Amino acid sequence: MHEMSLALEILSICERELGGLPETQVTAVGVEVGAFSGVDADSLQFCLEAVMSGQFDGVRCEVVRQPGEAACPRCDRAFKVMRAPFECPECGSLARGFSGGQGLQLCYLEVE
Amino acid sequence: MSAERVDVEQKVLSANDQIASEVRGRLAGHGVFSVNILSSPGSGKTTLLERTVDLLKPSLRLAVVAGDVQTRNDAERLERHGIPVQAIETGGGCHLNARQVSESLESLDLGEMDLLFIENVGNLVCPSSFDLGESRKVVLLSVTEGEDKPLKYPAAFRRAGVLVVTKVDLVPHVEFSTQTAIENALSINPDLVVLSTSSYTGEGLDSWAEWLTGQVTECKQGS
Repeated sequence: MHEMSLALEILSICERELGGLPETQVTAVGVEVGAFSGVDADSLQFCLEAVMSGQFDGVRCEVVRQPGEAACPRCDRAFKVMRAPFECPECGSLARGFSGGQGLQLCYLEVE
Repeated sequence: MSAERVDVEQKVLSANDQIASEVRGRLAGHGVFSVNILSSPGSGKTTLLERTVDLLKPSLRLAVVAGDVQTRNDAERLERHGIPVQAIETGGGCHLNARQVSESLESLDLGEMDLLFIENVGNLVCPSSFDLGESRKVVLLSVTEGEDKPLKYPAAFRRAGVLVVTKVDLVPHVEFSTQTAIENALSINPDLVVLSTSSYTGEGLDSWAEWLTGQVTECKQGS
């Protein structure tokens, strides 16, 4: 359960971004969570709302899961994966390994 | 006042990653090879380290940073093997972070070290997100845990360079197919180096020690 410490980290990045503009209000925050990042998107959503709304009233938190990408060993097709096993949607072959989907990124803030 | 969108595009863990990168630089500067050991609680991290220390101590200068939520028990077990050990009590934290490791290194003499083991908090989820500045992550999977662990906890297996299957002496007593477990791990990460070990009988420990020694030699040549 490290989502709370990640939410606090996101809050501190927001505060750094707002540095020198104390009157600015954050109205929304957008975060991307890799499906294979080891971070639970639902828990992060919950923690982020708790942490951010303490600082910015009515803030909207948008947590989006980012898939990884696998390549089919038979038909060579690249396809998105959210969980193992990595079955090719075209031919059903199983891919080994994947790329991407491991990051955790604060993408944008909406301020006013 | 209308809302304005500001693109940030910043890694949430960039503060941790920055410290990890400093740790990596410090270790590389002294030619120290380091492994960050991840596993569920009770997979045998400390016991594997005790056996490993006994095997490698005659030939390599070793040190351990041992993380736990509470107690210094693991650190004390390892200290009895006559090597420098630093304990990190996270006090509730479910993983180690780079700052904790960086502070622990202050109390260790990197000039007198070839190989550093970082024993993470027993947890197969959270530690996988935090770079500690290690050379390689090693994930342990004991045969009593179930062969589908790599599918359930893919992040740890994706980020590790080595999978050490532990407690293989118990295979006859549990419903566990080592081959299926390894297949599952390789489906997540085809580049994993896989070793099967028993800290109880000693099976496979030579291969593990050999892998570590090889990495230390390569690390020295690179520094």
